[in-house]
Amino acid sequence: MRDGDGLARKLSSIVGEDQVLSDGAATAFAVDGVSPRLAVRPGTQQDVEAVVAACTAAGAAMAPWGGGTAMGLGNPPSRLDVVVLLDRLSRIVEFDHANLNVSAEAGVRLARLQEVLGEKGEFLPLDPAEADAVTVGGLVESNASGPGRLLYGSARDWVLGLRVVLPSGERIRCGGKVIKNVSGYDMNKLFIGSLGSMGIVTEATFKLLPLPAARATVVGVFRQVPQMASVVARALESFLVPEALEALDPAALSSAETGLGRVSPAGYGLAVSLAGSREAVERQVRDFTKLFKENDAIATDTLGDADAGPAWRAIRNVHAPFKASGVVVKVAVPIGKTLDLFASAGDLGRRGFTGAVSAHAGSGIVRAGYRIAAGAPLEPLRDALAALRGEAEAAEGSLVLESAPAALKRTLDAWGRVRDGFAVARRLKAELDPGGLMNPGRFVGGI
Amino acid sequence: MRTPSLAHDLRQVVGEANVLDTGVNLRLYGYDAYLEERRPDAVVFVRTTDEVAGVVKACNKWGAPFVARGGGTNLSGGTVPVKGGVVIEMIRMNKLLEVDTKNLRARVQPGMFNLEFGNALAPLGYQYLPDPASQKAATLGGNVAENSGGPHCFKYGVTTNHVLGLTVVLPDGTIARFGGKAPDEPGIDLTGILVGSEGTLGICTEIVTKIQRLPEGVKTLLAIYDSIEAGSETVSAIVSAGMVPATLEMMDQLVIQAVEASIKCGFPLDCATVLIIEIDGLKDDLEQQAEAIADLCRKNGAREIRVAKNDAERAALWAGRRGAFGAVARITPSYLVCDGSVPRTELPKILKKVAEVGKKYDLKIPNVFHAGDGNLHPLILFDWRDAAQKERVMKAGMEILELCVAVGGTISGEHGVGIEKMDAMHLVFSEKEIDAQRKVKHAFDPEDVANPGKIFPAAREVAHA
Repeated sequence: MRDGDGLARKLSSIVGEDQVLSDGAATAFAVDGVSPRLAVRPGTQQDVEAVVAACTAAGAAMAPWGGGTAMGLGNPPSRLDVVVLLDRLSRIVEFDHANLNVSAEAGVRLARLQEVLGEKGEFLPLDPAEADAVTVGGLVESNASGPGRLLYGSARDWVLGLRVVLPSGERIRCGGKVIKNVSGYDMNKLFIGSLGSMGIVTEATFKLLPLPAARATVVGVFRQVPQMASVVARALESFLVPEALEALDPAALSSAETGLGRVSPAGYGLAVSLAGSREAVERQVRDFTKLFKENDAIATDTLGDADAGPAWRAIRNVHAPFKASGVVVKVAVPIGKTLDLFASAGDLGRRGFTGAVSAHAGSGIVRAGYRIAAGAPLEPLRDALAALRGEAEAAEGSLVLESAPAALKRTLDAWGRVRDGFAVARRLKAELDPGGLMNPGRFVGGI
Repeated sequence: MRTPSLAHDLRQVVGEANVLDTGVNLRLYGYDAYLEERRPDAVVFVRTTDEVAGVVKACNKWGAPFVARGGGTNLSGGTVPVKGGVVIEMIRMNKLLEVDTKNLRARVQPGMFNLEFGNALAPLGYQYLPDPASQKAATLGGNVAENSGGPHCFKYGVTTNHVLGLTVVLPDGTIARFGGKAPDEPGIDLTGILVGSEGTLGICTEIVTKIQRLPEGVKTLLAIYDSIEAGSETVSAIVSAGMVPATLEMMDQLVIQAVEASIKCGFPLDCATVLIIEIDGLKDDLEQQAEAIADLCRKNGAREIRVAKNDAERAALWAGRRGAFGAVARITPSYLVCDGSVPRTELPKILKKVAEVGKKYDLKIPNVFHAGDGNLHPLILFDWRDAAQKERVMKAGMEILELCVAVGGTISGEHGVGIEKMDAMHLVFSEKEIDAQRKVKHAFDPEDVANPGKIFPAAREVAHA
């Protein structure tokens, strides 16, 4: 970066002096231990344009920051001069409930958005952990999803349009607000899940769904993984359409239950969320309860709407404790392999790496958190994770570090092996961010 | 030994019999379902990914552009080789490579017809959901290139939501795999960018799709109305009631009359519109949902409601809808299909304005539309032998797209920009937005050899100081 003081003055002139943090105050926004020189809080999308243009002119490397929930994702930044805080972009721009879509600025928190949508009987079917903190921008740039991914997919499936500030400071629209749109390239895909490496998302338009008339959750507890796996396999080949099939290892089950003041026998939990008309939900509760029994569940439970909300919040957040004092990884594999990797991730526990493991059992996603004791050497855990990654990659999948000590990331790449598309990705990066200023170093292959 | 030439090199790659480079053969591969044609320099038939790569490399060597072609059903001129060069005919790469029910994925080659794929999955109890009306003749590779929709997209999403991996021959002839059976491949979503790129970023040679269980039950209703508004209001009422039918399809009187004249499916000739509603899912609540929907139809002015009693009746209703484009050809020899997409609640307003455009230009414009997702297909009828009429048609088409954009819609819902709507890109995108798309093109295809002359409008002159 050239002329840091000059940039600080320029940014102050754009957003006001009180919205620019420097030095000591800015270190609160360090990314993997790399402190920015400045942190800036633009209040409008136009301000983001001006801020980005000023940073680019000064050759300053930028990182967007929304709710901070995905700041552990990716490799440590190769450079970082300015963190662009997006929490003041908190307007719900347009809620067109008759057409089932909403446009919201990047800083809007998911929980608040859902509240507003809920008032008109609609919802955005994305349910990542930490909904109170996750922002619209973060949802998009991390392609977030949660247990409901089984029925609804990920952010990729619900974004209709985006507004993105490119490194040049120009803001472009991608997509629109209509459900079907093939006018030019699907530019949304360039920014969904690319961790701000191509530009800063300032607004997103999402497709919505009507809230289901009824919901219920059934939980089965099993002694062994294969019994649970049999329930999952039979459910997937049936006509049933559960919203979520979430597998929990004994630690995850007990941690979710502790928060709820419930206790079930020690074992593996399978939480199943069902949504739809009352008749369809009742039928599925019956069918799943029967499937649980046929597969030797040692306990089953049915939760109504009131209990289910807190239960799912607890289930989604079982890894949260390990973000601060450990490591959280996401394994993605073909659906049929999910519970194999779930079991392997759990095996690390037997080798002394304690934590909690859960899986979107019908969607190919396993998430595991492991504790790292203060002062403990990182090499054994690193080697165990590398082996787990090997297993995932052998199954055509991946293992990604969602959060880990920077020291661990320096010897274990956050994303794993470089894939076929990397040459194209690098050229896209060079076209859109020729100066390499958007979140440099963090995304796949260090772009 | 022959003199070196592009045709010679192509024959080396695919064999003597699989290259056409003379006469009438070339004309046959120079047009699609749009209204223009341009003769290619050669047509090659390919069977493998390696052959596609070899053909692309040969094209690169001779500086020839190339266009991949499947069923030739494209409605925006996407397969017309406007800059000449080589048409790469994918239709023989038509194998279903794998149905992996355990992972709910299939691997399929791009030359397979959409319907053929569906027919192969159905006996196993599975389905692939995007279902363009042309599914009998449209290939999956074409579906990928255009990000095709279809009636079922209101509930289930479009092609991009169902395609998770691609094997691609890039414009420089290298072979790459993007995505696959596992979700969330780390990196930029190149699969997502390829889908809908109209063959301008590369040629897909293998497709990994989601497959889904066939639903336990399906119910199909036909509601008959004396006014289009009443039909549209019913659609809004259904959605407001929190129901998400699998399809909500409408067509107007002119289309109904043409359909009845060609395929008898029992639509009344004197009604203003019919609405085809299909619901699917667990059988427990289908009956009740159907009753609730029928109620809403009646409340909103339906004069008659029919429920398909069996598969044959259901098939008849769908034959009517899917045969609509073909049937209107009975009225005039040619038509231009518009493909505007608007927020659903704007449909009644837009349809009225479309009728006004028809009056203004003295043209018949029957309508078929996906009422659930706001995608309309006014069919502007004309006779291609009448040049003056064709000029009016093009003006009317552009005016309809302007109307769609003015109410928050866009110029193409599912047919693509192709050559048809290049100039309309400026209606929805600023120069800098189009420029960002050009950068994507440049990253994939710096030499502009993959289906050149499509999507992008001529760059606007910029005054240089």
